[in-house]
Amino acid sequence: MDSELLRARLNLNAVLQNLEELVKLDAEMAALSKSWDISIQFSVMSGPAAFVEFKHGVCKHGEGTHPSPVVRLLFTSPAHLNRMFAGKGMPIPLKGFTKLGFLQKDFAKLTQRLEHYLKPAAGTARDDVFVKTSTSLTLYTAAYAVKELAALEPTCKAVAAHTPNGGLQIGVQPEGPYVHLLYDKGAVTVGKGSLPHPTATMTFKDMPSAHGLLSGKLDAFQAVAEGSVMLYGMIPLIDNTSLILDRVEQYLA
Amino acid sequence: MNIYEYPESQKLFTRAAKVIPGGIYGHFSPAPCVPVNAYPFFGSKAKGSHFWDVDGNEFIDYMCAYGPMILGYANPVVDEAYQAQMKLADSNTIASPKMVELAEFMVDLIPIADWAFFAKNGADVTNYAVMIARAATGRKKIIAIKGGYHGTSPWMQAAGHHGLIEDDHTNVIRIGWNDYAALEKVVDQYDGQIAGFIATPYHHPVFADNEMPAEGYWQKVQALLNKKGIVFIIDDVRCGFRLHMGGSNEHFGFKPDLIAFCKAIGNGYPVSSLVGTGALKSAAAKVFHTGSYWYSAGPMAAALACLKELKRINAPEVLRAYGTTLNEGIIRIAKSYGFTLKVTGDPGMAYYRLTGDETLMLQQDWCGECTRRGAYFTSHHNWFVSTAHTKEDLQRTWDICDDAFKAVQQKWNAGA
Repeated sequence: MDSELLRARLNLNAVLQNLEELVKLDAEMAALSKSWDISIQFSVMSGPAAFVEFKHGVCKHGEGTHPSPVVRLLFTSPAHLNRMFAGKGMPIPLKGFTKLGFLQKDFAKLTQRLEHYLKPAAGTARDDVFVKTSTSLTLYTAAYAVKELAALEPTCKAVAAHTPNGGLQIGVQPEGPYVHLLYDKGAVTVGKGSLPHPTATMTFKDMPSAHGLLSGKLDAFQAVAEGSVMLYGMIPLIDNTSLILDRVEQYLA
Repeated sequence: MNIYEYPESQKLFTRAAKVIPGGIYGHFSPAPCVPVNAYPFFGSKAKGSHFWDVDGNEFIDYMCAYGPMILGYANPVVDEAYQAQMKLADSNTIASPKMVELAEFMVDLIPIADWAFFAKNGADVTNYAVMIARAATGRKKIIAIKGGYHGTSPWMQAAGHHGLIEDDHTNVIRIGWNDYAALEKVVDQYDGQIAGFIATPYHHPVFADNEMPAEGYWQKVQALLNKKGIVFIIDDVRCGFRLHMGGSNEHFGFKPDLIAFCKAIGNGYPVSSLVGTGALKSAAAKVFHTGSYWYSAGPMAAALACLKELKRINAPEVLRAYGTTLNEGIIRIAKSYGFTLKVTGDPGMAYYRLTGDETLMLQQDWCGECTRRGAYFTSHHNWFVSTAHTKEDLQRTWDICDDAFKAVQQKWNAGA
């Protein structure tokens, strides 16, 4: 397995997609981006690609290539892209040279805020807004990462291969967010929102419970027994997804 | 009907979670008990076919400690034999005569057995069986069934579980249950490399219907394995002495080389056993496999008494009769509420599933409602009955099932 390729796909498809939610959940970022009209393409040479598009205060993420991006950023390898996501590398701009200032200043504020929620520094004040935003973004990251790991990581592929077909819904009571994973003969697709007829559900009692579990501060078995996390339906779907989720940190730490 | 609550269990779990990983680990973990608030976590006492939790709730037990309590809790015959031995010696510096007595009894009882070896848990003896197969053949690979369970040793756990490495599965080949063509294929593909084939007498996975062997399956398997010099291992840990006193293979009409027993052998006292044919005795003797308490004489005395009692009362027939009557009644009650209950596996240790709901949510709701009313049912695992279950238990269980079906019907009609 090419670990750098897997990390690149995780960065492009599990981390970057969070910008869609960030501009909804964080008032400051919503204000910052509300007038943006720009599309940014991230492409690895002979490798994965993804884009984000900002328009009318809405961010849209997509896998693959945008038909006419304003800015096109090239990376010579998956490792090159991963260095940029770690704040240690610069992309090669192929298009949108006049927007480089925007990228380095305004767009960077957005990505820094994303990091603040996904990898909070020690001592970060964890008020209700932070907990809700951080937990939501972490949940989305984790779910989208499952899809990538199930496709590329050998052990996760094996786990996905013996996971029953069906839909797993993961959510937080009472208001969400919800994500879902659909398993079909080992292939996994992911989406936001609830399912009309899930095969299994994993529901957090409240946002602090979800935050505790997703941030690794709460033991999963304990959380289930104490009712902080409620399981229902085809439990092997949940068990196997948990095995994959437990490997996300190995690649996104 | 009184609906149970479990405040003391919850309090105790909070204490447990502070000092024990996961609070309650392994197969007793509350995690697969859904909904979790329908289940007690800690028991205070048990007698016959009943146990009581720390909140004082009484349950008719349909898990029997996940199989061992075949004669019921606190069986006087077994307990007296155990206590008598304990007055003499349990763990000692040298072996107990009870070990020889138990081995002799098992060799007489089990047709394929020319020898018996003792340990504590099922995995002790399934591991030993695999080691013997490798020692006897000089080969590495083991064939097992997809979804089959033989303990928690790394070689038998599914890929991806914590603490495993990829190499753990390098020499384990998984094939589907009842798939003789798949067996032929891998035997041919790895000709001369396969040490053993391990399987349960019938397929009893969790979260899925149990499956009996197809007509002639075991006989064809035995012929192929014998022809290829592959050691034939039956994991009778869960079914042992519930289907047939001579080993479950006798019930299905075939002869393995090694049989692993645990659970029902000692009616709750910790002992397991591997028995085998004379051809493998020398290899068994060469494999070094032991443990600190594997020679404790108390559990061996209990096992001897338990096996004699099981034989005396023809336990497999008693269990099958109770299970059959139980199942017929529950199926009938389910039908009266518009549900179809599918029962698979041997009647005395069957797996139950309400059909028409592949998610198992309906099954979970019903088992939870039954447990809250005093019949301890799990939705993920086959149940177990004991010879201590009574006619009164049967009627009480049906009454509970009826009330639980009523509650589930209301919930599901309301759009669960």
